[in-house]
Amino acid sequence: MLFFIGQVFPYIAVAVFLLGLVWRVRSWLKVPVPFQITLFPAPHSLTGRVTAVGKEMLLFSSLRRGDDGLWFWAWLMHITLAMIIAGHIVGIYYLTHQFTLIGLTEAASSQVSAFLGAVAGVGFFMALIVLLYRRMAIPEVKRLSDPADYFELCLLLTIVITGMHMRTVSEVNLPVIREYLGSLMMLRPVPIPQEWIFVSHFFLVNVLMLYFPFSKLIHMAGFIVNRAMLVEAAPSYPTGEEHSHGGISRDARVSKGGAQL
Amino acid sequence: MSFVQVKGNQIEIDEDGFLVNPEDWSEDMAAYFATMEDVTELTENHWKVINYLRDYFKKFGVAPMIRKLCKDTGFPLKEIYEMFPSGPAKGACKLAGLPKPTGCV
Amino acid sequence: MMKPPMHVAKAKEVEAIGFPLTAESEQPFQAISKLGHLKEEMRSLMVMLETCTKCGKCAEQCHSYLGTQDYYNFPAARAELMRRVYKRYFTLQGKLFGRFAGAEDFDGETLTKWLTYFYQCNECRRCALFCPFGIDTAEVTIAARHILSELGIMPRFMQGVAANMAKTGNNMGLPKLAVIDNAEFMEDEMREELGIDIKIPIDKPDSDVLYIPSSADFFTNVDTMIGAAKLFYHLGLNWTISTTVLEAANFGLLFNLDVMKEHNRRLTDAAHTLGAKLVIQGECGHGWRAAKMYTQGANGPVPFQIRHILDFAAEHIDHLPLQKLPIRATLHDPCNYGRAGDLIEQPRKVLRAIVDEFVEMTPNREENFCCGGGSGLLMEEMKEIRMQLGKKKADQVMALGSLDYLVIPCSICKAQLPAVMDYYGVKDLKMGGLMDLVGKALVLK
Repeated sequence: MLFFIGQVFPYIAVAVFLLGLVWRVRSWLKVPVPFQITLFPAPHSLTGRVTAVGKEMLLFSSLRRGDDGLWFWAWLMHITLAMIIAGHIVGIYYLTHQFTLIGLTEAASSQVSAFLGAVAGVGFFMALIVLLYRRMAIPEVKRLSDPADYFELCLLLTIVITGMHMRTVSEVNLPVIREYLGSLMMLRPVPIPQEWIFVSHFFLVNVLMLYFPFSKLIHMAGFIVNRAMLVEAAPSYPTGEEHSHGGISRDARVSKGGAQL
Repeated sequence: MSFVQVKGNQIEIDEDGFLVNPEDWSEDMAAYFATMEDVTELTENHWKVINYLRDYFKKFGVAPMIRKLCKDTGFPLKEIYEMFPSGPAKGACKLAGLPKPTGCV
Repeated sequence: MMKPPMHVAKAKEVEAIGFPLTAESEQPFQAISKLGHLKEEMRSLMVMLETCTKCGKCAEQCHSYLGTQDYYNFPAARAELMRRVYKRYFTLQGKLFGRFAGAEDFDGETLTKWLTYFYQCNECRRCALFCPFGIDTAEVTIAARHILSELGIMPRFMQGVAANMAKTGNNMGLPKLAVIDNAEFMEDEMREELGIDIKIPIDKPDSDVLYIPSSADFFTNVDTMIGAAKLFYHLGLNWTISTTVLEAANFGLLFNLDVMKEHNRRLTDAAHTLGAKLVIQGECGHGWRAAKMYTQGANGPVPFQIRHILDFAAEHIDHLPLQKLPIRATLHDPCNYGRAGDLIEQPRKVLRAIVDEFVEMTPNREENFCCGGGSGLLMEEMKEIRMQLGKKKADQVMALGSLDYLVIPCSICKAQLPAVMDYYGVKDLKMGGLMDLVGKALVLK
């Protein structure tokens, strides 16, 4: 059982995650955009378009329109998640000593790492609780929700709870975990460290990765593909002869003049 | 589509209450529509509008511009609404046996 | 069994416009099949159905939901009417996890719900503005109505308009003789008013400019046509209208995409026949969207310019001889000018130049609310629902206090808003187009 969870399942989960994402996004990009559906006002240049979509991705600007609390909690959830993911990568690799790279002592680095981890973890946890509460408390959202919506929130909650547990109550052996994860990446897996809290946490993360491509969690990619259509430049007439319609739309050549009339 | 009985004849009207076949029109039909449209009495003025509409429709196959209707009959739009509460398009045209003007109106 | 709130076109009516009615027992299967095809032709449909995270933000921003308080008029819930069956038949999670993942079978009620609720969406795109992903429920509505029409299911109103368009080249069904008679009447009116002979050329070959008004400008909104004619006269344009396409509107956009292409082709054909270098669209909202955004994909490429009369007027407004009108006016932003048509500042530039006092309603520009009649919801039998859809707009106007004129630069809005204002007790407010005011402000000799 532990062999499966520790040395087989992680590969299945990552493979399904990566291949699933690619397959899903490809299924969208294969389909043409027959008519441009630009949402105005829209940027006029490529830089403008990239900036607009980038800003939306980092700050969730649209959610701030109409002003309610959703923006704050949704944004908090995502920003802490980003901090957690980044923190895992550098924190585990450097065994919490990553801040020695900016001149701190090892001890100080570990403290900063723990602090940031706590902030991110607690923030993520609180955001999830509020979002879960919101989903149950607002009548329209409750009626709209599927069991999957609750499942996803709960899955993330159990992951963050087990995660925070590891860094506080149980205080797991980080170097052993680092060695295990490294062995997975080298494709020479060693048996999983038998700390039950770590096994649970790791297993749940793999479940999340397996589930991800087949759920609404794909919204991360959907966001980009959709926004790209909404900021696409509007056609400008007269249009060039070599335009191909029926396939993916391209910018039409901008025409000059017109003021002679 | 449904049928109404007017003076012994079965006349077809559509879901909006308008005449389906223009040839079915008669003064009795106008009287029938008047009862449906809150027109208590068909005065000479009413008939002036109805006949104008029918003549125009026969010539041009469609209802006349509202402003032209007002100008040629001499009734300002307000008065047309007083005569036909649903207005020139939905009221007067119905009584005159024209099809209901459709589109962005 | 639920009953849709509009008159549905009968079998022989839909057959007459080329959409034979599918047998009722066959409808679910055919609908699913057509959805399967459509999702491979329209990227927006796939992405938007698959990306919704059910956050519910759109509820507070949709005038349809706010006005009717009907759950299915809340954008995400409206999209769910299609999303649930889409998931069931076309996604792995729907096939594997069923109800858990929000998938549902297509049943006897599904199509009735589609007809009922996708014809209570005004396709205004406001939800797209407030959704974190930009999910545009109008795209789902367009898809649903397209599928329904392919099965021969559509409101009688749509069928009537499409039949008129096919027969006469305009939604009102004006035959050529009537167009000529109406044009002569308008010329008489202008001569009486100004003492000048301003012509409205009809089907004039070798014209530089093809003007395509809304056919309603030849029935009720006469001042809009007169305003345009006066402007073109002053600028000395070589222009004409065309009796094969006397219709800026494109109702195909509102119920069937193949009909949309067909209507659009009339535009491109007419411009080609007349040798026009510039096509100017009149005051029609979704018609502008169709001309500007859909021509390329429908019948492109095209060798002529396509502009809107208000953009054209804005370009020239500073050089026109004007006498400002002493009125306090506000501007309604038609959804298809703002969010869908990139025509936000031009109407304002024009209006500021021709009235003494221009006051903005709140919200405005791209956040403005739909009139409630958008996407062709002008059915008489849906009056009550339409008035609910127009409630936000009435609130906006009433919040402005005393007002002389409400500028409504779109035909559907012109048909809907007077009824809305009357319903909510807004008195003594003149309403009409923007070109109407331009015509009144122009000083012609």
